[in-house]
Amino acid sequence: MFKAFLQGKPFGHPLHPALVHFPIGLFLLSLVLDIASYLEVTSNVLFRASLYAMGFGLGMGILAALTGLVDRSDIRLDHPARKTSTIHMALNLTALGLFGINFFLRLEQENLAGLPLPYLLLSLIGVGIFLVSGYLGGKMVYDSGIGVGRHRRYTRTPRETIDVSFLVRHDGWAPVCDEAELRDGETLRVACDGNIMTIARQGGEVYAFQEFCTHRYGPLSEGKLQDHRVVCPWHRSCFDIRTGKVVEGPAKVDLKTYSAAIRSGKIFIK
Amino acid sequence: MIDFLQGKWLKHPLHPALVHIPTALWPMAWIFDLFSQFRADNVFVQLAFYAGSLGLIAALFAIPTGFADWTDIRREKPAWKLGLYHMGLNVVVSILWTINLWLRIGSFQTDTSVPPGLFWLSTTATALLLLSGYLGGRMIYAHGISVARLSKTKWRKIAEEGGAAVPPEHGE
Repeated sequence: MFKAFLQGKPFGHPLHPALVHFPIGLFLLSLVLDIASYLEVTSNVLFRASLYAMGFGLGMGILAALTGLVDRSDIRLDHPARKTSTIHMALNLTALGLFGINFFLRLEQENLAGLPLPYLLLSLIGVGIFLVSGYLGGKMVYDSGIGVGRHRRYTRTPRETIDVSFLVRHDGWAPVCDEAELRDGETLRVACDGNIMTIARQGGEVYAFQEFCTHRYGPLSEGKLQDHRVVCPWHRSCFDIRTGKVVEGPAKVDLKTYSAAIRSGKIFIK
Repeated sequence: MIDFLQGKWLKHPLHPALVHIPTALWPMAWIFDLFSQFRADNVFVQLAFYAGSLGLIAALFAIPTGFADWTDIRREKPAWKLGLYHMGLNVVVSILWTINLWLRIGSFQTDTSVPPGLFWLSTTATALLLLSGYLGGRMIYAHGISVARLSKTKWRKIAEEGGAAVPPEHGE
């Protein structure tokens, strides 16, 4: 439940992208004030102003890092954005560390007028790294849809894609996993001979349908399941998981469905 | 022009990137105002002024980009109305900060605390901005506005390769 809170599920809005406004805005402000205090040699007020902005930026940055870490833990291991998230995290921690050093070095000389160049450069590098990292973070949301619509789903999402291509038997059926590994309201993401599908369990039965929404190809294995329907996390297209038919748009094309069954304690697909 | 404002050249929508600055700095300006009420120090008054000003400059860029994104939302969608409220609130907040900063210009370099009237002006603007920011976030994270708009072709290719049903090309 604490994890769901850090992911912002109760608010219907992830916390990480809301919190990151603050370090980004504040570090940028401190850089602007640094440039001004580099040029201003008569008073130390700009130096102190920049120091405070940086301090607040560090505090908010730590909160943002915590929530970001939690959001990252739900990205599928084989998702291309997983790698992006690793780089995003590494860059953010580096920049946060640089600003931490920057801040503590300045604490020792609170009455400075005319900021020495090395401090200014340190801020400049920090902001530069944050810009690159922020761009990657934005790409994760706007290209890969990470964090989009996830607040509607409270059950765990697939950790990775299970490839069953080499397990297909003579009769065309392929075993996926033990029945116990898929609880009611949960999904699996399965690949078989290039087909990527979602296996969903509802009311004791299992259903298999194409993973990609027919609107903008959102990941249905991360959508919310309810009353034999799946809602795409991205744009709320809703499909009947038994037939693949569109229940509600924006999607207009039905999903391709596959056969799925539970036999002697194992889940099979065809 | 619309394409430029929507950030197609950057492969990242511009509006949500630009709004970081006012969304962070205007509430922070209010926090600095608050600090100055309890600890009289000119540094907080100056910080609030600079935070507010940088926020305003960025907001002037954020408004046209946001408007450009909004024109792509169809009217019958719930996000269209959310966008309208979001825009209305943001315009009000931007005007409030313009007035607020204008009234500070003469005194921010010497005052040791922000006058109560201006403090309440910041408080109002901050409350409205937080509400507006929440609506903006809901547009993305609950309605998927701008999501997979620029990466649609990439996802289509991945889906098609596996033989999944896909909509006709150029269809919405």
